[in-house]
Amino acid sequence: MSNIERREFLKLVGAGSVGVGAGFALRESIKHPIEHLIPYPVPPEEFSPGVVTWYNTVCTMCAAGCGISVRTREGRAKKIEGNPLHPVSQGRLCALGQAGLQVLYNPDRLTGPLLRTGKRGSGSFEQTTWDEGLAQVGDRLDLLRAAGRGNRVALLSTGVRGHLAGLFELFMQQLGSERLLHYDFGHPHTLYAAHRRFFGEERLPYYDLKNTRYLLSFGADYLGSWISPVHHALGFGHSRQGRPDVRGRFVQIEPRMSLSGAAADEWIPAQPGTEGILALGMAHHMVSEGHYRGDDRDHWAAVLAPYTINQVAAQTGVATATITRLADTFVHSDPSLAIGGGGAGGHSNGVDTLVAVNALNYLVGNIGKTGGLVFNPEPAIGEVSHPRQASYRTMLEFADDARQGNIEVLILNNTNPVFTLPGAAGFSKALAEIPLIVSLSSFMDETTTLADVILPSHTYLESWGDDIPEPGVGFPIGAVSQPVVAPLYNTRGTGDIILELAQKLDIGDAIPWRTMEECLQAGWRKIYERGAPDTSTMSFDSFWTALLKAGVWGEKTQSEQVSFTPAKNVIDSIGVQAPEFSGSSDDYPFILHPYLSTTFHDGRAANLPWMQELPDPLTSVVYGSWVEMNPATATQLGLTEGELVDVESPHGRIRAPLYLYPAIMPEVVAMPIGQGHFEYGRYAKNRGANPIEILSPQLEPHTGGLAWSATRVKIVATGKRVKIVKTGGTSRDLGRGIVQTTGAKLGAAHGTKLNSIPITVVST
Amino acid sequence: MNVSIVPALRVLKPAVLVGAVAFLGLVVGYWANAAFFPGTSPQQPINFSHKIHAGDYEIPCMYCHTNARRSISAGVPSVNKCVGCHNEVATERPQIRKLMNYWHNKEPIPWIKVHDLPDFVHFTHKRHVQAGIECQTCHGAVETMDVITLGTAASKTSGVTLASAPAMKMGVCLDCHKQHEVENGLDCWTCHK
Repeated sequence: MSNIERREFLKLVGAGSVGVGAGFALRESIKHPIEHLIPYPVPPEEFSPGVVTWYNTVCTMCAAGCGISVRTREGRAKKIEGNPLHPVSQGRLCALGQAGLQVLYNPDRLTGPLLRTGKRGSGSFEQTTWDEGLAQVGDRLDLLRAAGRGNRVALLSTGVRGHLAGLFELFMQQLGSERLLHYDFGHPHTLYAAHRRFFGEERLPYYDLKNTRYLLSFGADYLGSWISPVHHALGFGHSRQGRPDVRGRFVQIEPRMSLSGAAADEWIPAQPGTEGILALGMAHHMVSEGHYRGDDRDHWAAVLAPYTINQVAAQTGVATATITRLADTFVHSDPSLAIGGGGAGGHSNGVDTLVAVNALNYLVGNIGKTGGLVFNPEPAIGEVSHPRQASYRTMLEFADDARQGNIEVLILNNTNPVFTLPGAAGFSKALAEIPLIVSLSSFMDETTTLADVILPSHTYLESWGDDIPEPGVGFPIGAVSQPVVAPLYNTRGTGDIILELAQKLDIGDAIPWRTMEECLQAGWRKIYERGAPDTSTMSFDSFWTALLKAGVWGEKTQSEQVSFTPAKNVIDSIGVQAPEFSGSSDDYPFILHPYLSTTFHDGRAANLPWMQELPDPLTSVVYGSWVEMNPATATQLGLTEGELVDVESPHGRIRAPLYLYPAIMPEVVAMPIGQGHFEYGRYAKNRGANPIEILSPQLEPHTGGLAWSATRVKIVATGKRVKIVKTGGTSRDLGRGIVQTTGAKLGAAHGTKLNSIPITVVST
Repeated sequence: MNVSIVPALRVLKPAVLVGAVAFLGLVVGYWANAAFFPGTSPQQPINFSHKIHAGDYEIPCMYCHTNARRSISAGVPSVNKCVGCHNEVATERPQIRKLMNYWHNKEPIPWIKVHDLPDFVHFTHKRHVQAGIECQTCHGAVETMDVITLGTAASKTSGVTLASAPAMKMGVCLDCHKQHEVENGLDCWTCHK
């Protein structure tokens, strides 16, 4: 080493230093990163760090009103599950309900009051304070009220129930306005009307799917989107597998196989809009075979005379043998149940169709029976939404009013009619004529962008409220919703906003509460005082605490036996006309079947990324819209999957890729509702197409509801293609034995034990 | 033909030497970091001494770490709690003045976490405390420590004594679970779920 050169030495020193540095840095980089323990300056009283607290409240993602339990830690909501005590959800919850967390934590939420600065619809707003925002609205309302023109104020809300609905009533009454409307696209107007006509009740009955043996569903996707899917799914499960010796059988009649159709034992496509005719054909068979033994059977026979099996088979496209078999099984399965709704209720003959379904239930004695159709009692507390629900006709009248300058202030509450009304209604143009539009929405949806003042409300997880589920569960119940987290942003509860406006208007005598919580307590005191036997030992405060803890209140009463006989004129009114469609079948060869999406409902959930990435249960498509078409039809037209097509009705045109779906009638095309937003946050905006936009303004005459299944369309290929994003490969079995089928005679099918293996019985 | 690598080595000799020295440096650097900067007793924002509180004054652990018996995390006392005593006690000491500064500004004290399990381990204080396990079993003799020190692999091999905390490694958990015959104590998903 004596002959080491200077240059060599320097090299070694350099190498050594770099090595040491690198070694030091290596150890440093693999060290556990520093984490901090951050104490509270003052500990919160409501929770202990690391300890989970569950709060019971009510889901508002659809109108079913399921009870939910929200898991919170450190004051943050972490997970939503079903409330086991709530008779509607019984501890279960659907995907939409679980995604409620993304409503709360959505990055596109409105975080504080806004005032419009640019032109209306330009989307430019500036932040303001609550005082300023409320003053702007309050002053205008005060002026109108003082001038006796309170009726020029309109309140358009999503369907709300309970004391908030009551508060809206009071507020508008004090203003002197009758223009209080609830609007939801999916509200089953025809179902209510059919029950009113047949049973004389303005309420939905309880459908006892749980205890039935044989269910005929005329177009009602009861597992996917129809009125109370979670509760129906519970009943479905119990009917199928919950009873040791009985396996409920389910038949689904609809032009396009829905989730319920896929789960049914038998799926029967009838010509769209002829479901009621099919029901009457079955009724005809029952009466003429002597299965109905009531005193008025001659009357029934006379009314049903035109609906002979052959006639009905020709109209509906269902074989005569199938009609008689369905009718016979329906009679001989005790109890059986027929339900109807969804697409079948969305035709020009919607009410008549659903009355025909009620008639089926009556003829075999399913009314008021376990496993059949049970009447609901009057709500014990608060208001329900239906009496205020606006039909399409009402919305058109409202738009006319606005165009004529009869409406000076419009208050919007979480409803989005610009998106959920057909383009033919011209609603956004009508809104332009209203001088002041106030929105209480939590998100910048299509309608809220047209507002002048935005006073954003809390999400349902931050609000006080209560609910009376519709349909009920056969006995009186009510549920209370409470904030599960402190408000994330500078928002306020809808009820609190209305109460503050009431204070400003000096109508505090009629509306004496300062907060929504106070209003609720005042209302629920009536239930407390109504004489529960333990009233004397329990103070109201402990009643209230117990109520909040359970999240739900109910009285399981013995329902009295109902004997129901329809009046003569009701029987006379039975009869279903052929459905009317707008557009000629030559120009528009297809019938458009839009359906409420299991994931987005009427489009309100399109801003939730969890729902966007949830594969549709039948097509497995994520993030987008599609048009379902029968493969045979597509072959005729020379179209393949992924072909971008224009769906054109007499009232507009939208573009979406084609999806080949074998379980749809050849002359029908289907599209899910929910996508196609042009506002509503980063996840919803400019994604897919909205089929509501092109619907024909065809009305159901009895309710004035939109006949949303009655639009004819044509399919125009654009020559462009896209790749549909979906998780599924082929929908076919390809001989892999995944779905086994076995031919069985009807009699044998009854005896088959099918609880354990997934076998579909094909009745021959 | 005869091939030898010797000529090649001769050519590469300077490079090999440089490489060897660099590697030696790497080892030295790594060791130096481990020996002199172990990170097992980090400098805290306030020089809080467990020896004074838990040792000399015998304040029970759960007077401050109240949540240990009912939560998955033992929790760190709120500033409010410290001030509860130090409004009266030792108010003139510089470290207490620091504390009062935090309190007056309503700011939390950014303590540095010493005992930290990886995120893939599900550990709950509640179960262990309720089963009667002493805090010192895992955390060492905290009442003797002026500065909280994390146990290292060395303290494990030298035998777990109360004076030094064991390294919080899986073996330590399993040994204890075995010794106490914990139900499902050796299942993977008891801790990794």
